[in-house]
Amino acid sequence: MRTVAVFSEADRGSLHVRQADEAFCVGPGPVARSYLNIPNVISTALITGCDAVHPGYGFLAENARFAEICADHGLTFIGPKPSVIAAMGDKATAKRVMHDAGVATTPGTDILASIDEARKAAKKIGYPVLLKATAGGGGKGMRTVENEHDLDRAFSSATAEAEASFKDGRLYMEKLIIDPRHIEVQVLADSFGNVVHLGERDCSVQKPSHQKLIEEAPAPNLSQKARNALHDMAVRACKHVGYSNAGTLEFLVSGDQVFFMEMNTRIQVEHPVTEMVYSIDLVKEQIRIASGETLGYTQRDLAARGHAIECRINAEDSSNNFAPQAGTLADVVFPGGPGIRVDTHVYAGATIPPYYDSMLAKIVAFGETRDAAIARMERALRETVVDGVNTTIGQCLEILAHPRFREGRYDIGFLPSLLKARV
Amino acid sequence: MSDEQYPSGLAERVRVLAQAFVESDLLRVRVERKHEAIELARNHVPAERLPELAPELEAASAAAPLKLDIVRADLVGIFHLGRPQPFEGERLEGDRELAYIEALGIRNPVRSRGAGRVAAIRAADGDPVEYGQPLFELDRG
Repeated sequence: MRTVAVFSEADRGSLHVRQADEAFCVGPGPVARSYLNIPNVISTALITGCDAVHPGYGFLAENARFAEICADHGLTFIGPKPSVIAAMGDKATAKRVMHDAGVATTPGTDILASIDEARKAAKKIGYPVLLKATAGGGGKGMRTVENEHDLDRAFSSATAEAEASFKDGRLYMEKLIIDPRHIEVQVLADSFGNVVHLGERDCSVQKPSHQKLIEEAPAPNLSQKARNALHDMAVRACKHVGYSNAGTLEFLVSGDQVFFMEMNTRIQVEHPVTEMVYSIDLVKEQIRIASGETLGYTQRDLAARGHAIECRINAEDSSNNFAPQAGTLADVVFPGGPGIRVDTHVYAGATIPPYYDSMLAKIVAFGETRDAAIARMERALRETVVDGVNTTIGQCLEILAHPRFREGRYDIGFLPSLLKARV
Repeated sequence: MSDEQYPSGLAERVRVLAQAFVESDLLRVRVERKHEAIELARNHVPAERLPELAPELEAASAAAPLKLDIVRADLVGIFHLGRPQPFEGERLEGDRELAYIEALGIRNPVRSRGAGRVAAIRAADGDPVEYGQPLFELDRG
């Protein structure tokens, strides 16, 4: 299979540009003029004779209009139907649909028409509340609001951030469940109604901005009752909405209580941990499903083995609120050896532009047990060299060594409290 | 060339001039007669002639420094030269559509945005072009 990559002027030196069979620049650095420039992306696919478009996990990956435009031009969009992307990508609608499917959801609102409506809703739900971008993901356009006094500012800044990131500034509100775990379920569905889950991932190690830093599969210390509930709800939800291709349902878990949060209708950053424990290539499955093949296996054919952990190596200053770093990487050495996988777009000499997400690499460690996976990850992180920018390597090592992480008893409040204690 | 020797048909005049031009050492020749002007210019100087031409080229560039302006593609699509086709060495009297980029079935003009001389055409008719790709070099000097 031949590949054509798109890139912005700022990403001309990126590894994906080198590795693709062909690569086309679609615009200057700022995303609105390049990676979100639908005409240039579609035109690239057409003039190079592409059959299908893989939208990756950012930018246009959950844009139903983009999926429709692909179809209008005879291009297969590798993902679910546009109507399903629209329903699930719009987080407020997704919650309503999931509620109808019998999936437990957090108390909250539909899309908020105004700040006045937000004030009334927050009073009714009770502070603290979460404001979330209905088109959101990756913590963008999301704000925790502790009291009425902070609501106005949070509402306007979340709207502006969502508008800039997703071209859609609409927000909804949820009751903030104090220190839950963030556990998500990977699903695969073909176009013939066959749906399987590929277990769960624990993504509770999150920065104060709600961006994930370390993920693992399976989730440690999860009761069988909660695990079964998560898996069953994920499959039921997919059947209810006629889902096809790869997707992830994100849940908040508090004890044995599980609440649906949102569905991502795309492959996710942390998909490698699932690939490691299920020995399955999720992106290959996405392409197979999009080309009209059946899954070819059922839930009974699937079994997880061992444990996998992913650490996100970001160009960020973890001592300064994870401020993104830009610059040139003087030296880069990635780890290797049994059970270690590195997904990256950088190399020694690469320049990190200031425009995009600051992730440089994902290091994934597999072990027969959780302890073995942690040991391998610690060794791999110590082997890793990224000179030229501050990175999250040190922060990840600190987390891996922490007793709460070691015991697998952490929630989304864990990293923020660790950072507060350090100050 | 006397008036008697100068052919009456335009195509024939160009052919005769081109023949004389090829046999010469000149980089550019321009003949103006009444309401007509024919200008011929070399695209590339043969490498073996560079040393002997070097002082001449240096003098020329010192006398009239090139003010090269690069016209780039501002979208992704298929490049098509305009009609009449611009050619290297051609003088543009003002703003003109030099080419167009076909993208999603729409013809997007590429304009010279002012007068100048076409110093180089950097893309071929029918080429797929990316954002920012140089299409023309215009000498605004």
